[in-house]
Amino acid sequence: MQIYVCVKHVPDSAANITIVDNTSIDEKVAFLLNPYDEHAVTEAAVLKKQFADTEIIAVCLGRKDAEKTIRSAMAMGADRGILIEASEAPDSMTTARALKAAIDQDGTPGIILTGKESIDAEGMQTMFRIGALFDFPVVTNAVAVKAEHDRALVTYELAGGRTRTCELAMPCVVAAGRGLNTPAYPTFPDVVKARKKSIRVLALSDLVIDTSPGSSRVVALEPLVQVRNPRQINGSPREIAARIATILKEEAKVIT
Amino acid sequence: MNVKYDAIIIGAGVIGAPIAYELTKMGYKTLNVDKLPDAGEGSTSGSCAIVRAHYSTADGVAMAYEGFKYWLDWENYLDQVEDEKGLARYMNTGSILIKSDGHDWRKVKQNYDEVGVQYEEWDRETLLEKVPVADLHKFWPVRRPEDPQFFDDPTEFIEGAIFCPEGGYVNDPALSAHNIMRAAEAKGAEFKFNAEVADVRSEGGKVTGITLKDGTQIDAGIVVNVGGPHSCKINQMAEGVWEGCNIKTKALRHEVMYCPSPDDYDYLNDGYHMSDGDIGCYVRPEVGNTFLIGSEDPDCDPQEWVDPDEFYAGKGGHGRDNVLSDEQWQAQCYRLGKRIPTLQVPNQPKGVVDLYDCSDDWIPIYDKSDLPGFYMAIGTSGNQYKNAPVVGRMMAELIDNCEKGLDHDNEPFQFTFKYIGRSTNVGFFSRKREINYNSSFSVNG
Repeated sequence: MQIYVCVKHVPDSAANITIVDNTSIDEKVAFLLNPYDEHAVTEAAVLKKQFADTEIIAVCLGRKDAEKTIRSAMAMGADRGILIEASEAPDSMTTARALKAAIDQDGTPGIILTGKESIDAEGMQTMFRIGALFDFPVVTNAVAVKAEHDRALVTYELAGGRTRTCELAMPCVVAAGRGLNTPAYPTFPDVVKARKKSIRVLALSDLVIDTSPGSSRVVALEPLVQVRNPRQINGSPREIAARIATILKEEAKVIT
Repeated sequence: MNVKYDAIIIGAGVIGAPIAYELTKMGYKTLNVDKLPDAGEGSTSGSCAIVRAHYSTADGVAMAYEGFKYWLDWENYLDQVEDEKGLARYMNTGSILIKSDGHDWRKVKQNYDEVGVQYEEWDRETLLEKVPVADLHKFWPVRRPEDPQFFDDPTEFIEGAIFCPEGGYVNDPALSAHNIMRAAEAKGAEFKFNAEVADVRSEGGKVTGITLKDGTQIDAGIVVNVGGPHSCKINQMAEGVWEGCNIKTKALRHEVMYCPSPDDYDYLNDGYHMSDGDIGCYVRPEVGNTFLIGSEDPDCDPQEWVDPDEFYAGKGGHGRDNVLSDEQWQAQCYRLGKRIPTLQVPNQPKGVVDLYDCSDDWIPIYDKSDLPGFYMAIGTSGNQYKNAPVVGRMMAELIDNCEKGLDHDNEPFQFTFKYIGRSTNVGFFSRKREINYNSSFSVNG
């Protein structure tokens, strides 16, 4: 089986992000493998252990330096990589068409994995568009995958922490959520091995795809200014703990 | 009329606080001013707070060994003061110095013998027994992952290590400064926070006080610069001080990484502090069973000298601002990944970026200045945290003696270490010295 993992090269969430020309960010910051895609690669490595003769191929559309992200995916278990080189990031529609064309050119997907969203654009669209183009069923925010040869049982998480399990015909597209697994980060020997794995580079312009863009476009980006209002909580340890519990319940609403 | 103190100490970090504590005990009325909201919140909070004895000079070893005695007896040093935040804890893990080309470990051993530091010599078998996750190949010279030779297979092995049973780290460096502040306050010292110094005033060739950014003037006949990474800026505010220093200080950007320990290795409880010059890293345990990975400043790594105000404001761009860089993350983590092949390295950097207040020869300046009444405890170069309580005492005695007429530049003050009974020539730390080529010119000191 061939498992294709679609990965994205995204800015580090800890970077100082600055907006230039009102519609894009200054890209002179650290970029890395999209954190949700780490779960997708890790799951691919788990499936590889289950199915004999399985190959994991990491596919990425990005600038030349997105090779770094493919190397990260290879250090985490991908056997080889495909980089669709593009100087600028196209919209999710063109991205999905390009990923499909590259996968079609390369082989036959048994399953396509990706992260449930990218941490930069947070569009959450590409997986559905890939599914539509291939005519494969799609599930997003997956927290458990049980694959058999012709079907997969996938549990996914809904708002409020509820989960639902559905049965999908294989091949299918599964978008990984954080609850799917703990990313298996590479050791130095894994990194050394990944250096020797091959990456095929395709130019976006060489792929025969419809390049007409979607009808949505970015009009303006605005930085999110986080307003922090620190308060000091005084009292005995018991009183402080009780006050924190009340805040978490009633203000932050993260516990019930 | 301005408020008047005997001494104003600029900075309330782990060096500024003990200077106040010791001066107060001698009867001086002191005020620490700090631009941040609490003690130890500046570069002290970014310190790895390593307590180890290996230095390239015997005096360096002696001062560090003296420092142990303070950390081991923390409550008594603080005179049993209570701190509402709790007390910092010294974690005595023991300290491993890998015998490597990256350290002049033979000289360190001689220094240990001279000062009387306890140590053991470990061969490879012992080292492996103590650190079972280690690969003992020799990886020297230290390289960067951008260099293809970084990935070459090693063929030789390191020789072994020197182990000091006394050594480790302090679990919360900012808290340790806060503890000393509370101890100093109990003796009458005062601290003023959110107070940025705009000027050091002098009159008739003698320091008279400081002016804060909001215009407040505070008077004192003694002003001590313990400004950490801002020390160079403070020196330039005081008449003739900067010009009178043969050794200068400037701020060096430095990254420290947190990487999870391999699953089957309880590094937090079973691990040691380790200085590994063979890979250019030092490590110590951190909460959450992680490795804290510092860099020993190998020659191949870039040195980013920055303006401290711009740095803390997040300016300067990739590799110069206050965000970890992926290049250095990979450099430090992969170097340790050679020594510990089961170490899993996440893709997203995690750690601390802060500044060293670095002198030209990486040895501190503990001295008077060309402006009478103005003193300096600066240029701590990432390696003086462990000495802080000793430096507090030494600076207080130096200041007291100079104020009573000692001509320290011509007859350097001799400081006697309280616990190890050895004395040291404080002139070693003079601003007037020539660059000391015996220094390691790195965080190793």
